[in-house]
Amino acid sequence: MKNKIKIERAIKNLTQEDLAKKVSVTRQTINAMEANKYVPSTVLALKIAKIFEKPVEEIFILEEAD
Amino acid sequence: MTNKLLLPNRFKKIGWFILIPAFIAGVILSITGYEANWLQTNVFAIVNNEFFGKTLYFQFVEINITNTAVGVLFLGGAMLVAFSKEKTEDEFIVNIRLTSLLWALLVNNILLLIAFVFIYGTTFFSVMVYNMFTVLIIFILRFNYLLYKNSKTVIDEK
Repeated sequence: MKNKIKIERAIKNLTQEDLAKKVSVTRQTINAMEANKYVPSTVLALKIAKIFEKPVEEIFILEEAD
Repeated sequence: MTNKLLLPNRFKKIGWFILIPAFIAGVILSITGYEANWLQTNVFAIVNNEFFGKTLYFQFVEINITNTAVGVLFLGGAMLVAFSKEKTEDEFIVNIRLTSLLWALLVNNILLLIAFVFIYGTTFFSVMVYNMFTVLIIFILRFNYLLYKNSKTVIDEK
């Protein structure tokens, strides 16, 4: 699964730390997601989508291998 | 994503304070075979079989508990370290913890398998002794290494 967290963060002008605080996770988690090393839970994906005010599918995209 | 099986974070520090001295004591004990005289005492035993003797059940026996004491402190300390929350818990940490546990169990069993096949005689007895502690040790090392590695990459991308 790919994600556009980094791009959306840039649009909203948020640092990893800001986003982490808003969705109550650590900065490592945001970092790991952006590096495609970690697939978030549904709860976290929904929280992130809420912050960016977009549907989940616009931020998290399935890949061929999924 | 909260885990009810874990203790609060402050127990981790307490765990380290018990684990490190107990580890050093354990290493010294296994090299020297030292037994402290003041730890010769009566204890309740569910089972106790003496060398060339009979097996006793549910009785008080007089025995030296140096090894028992160090082993209990080591296991207690290691369990506190292994089963306490991090300062900040989230689902990623939970994920790392579970992956580390799986990894530790796998590595431990591979090592045990190798020991089974290649170690014979009385030395195998010490393999069994060490194996009582290795799952926890490997897990603690792996988990903390992954936490360290992840905090490192965050700093790099700053």
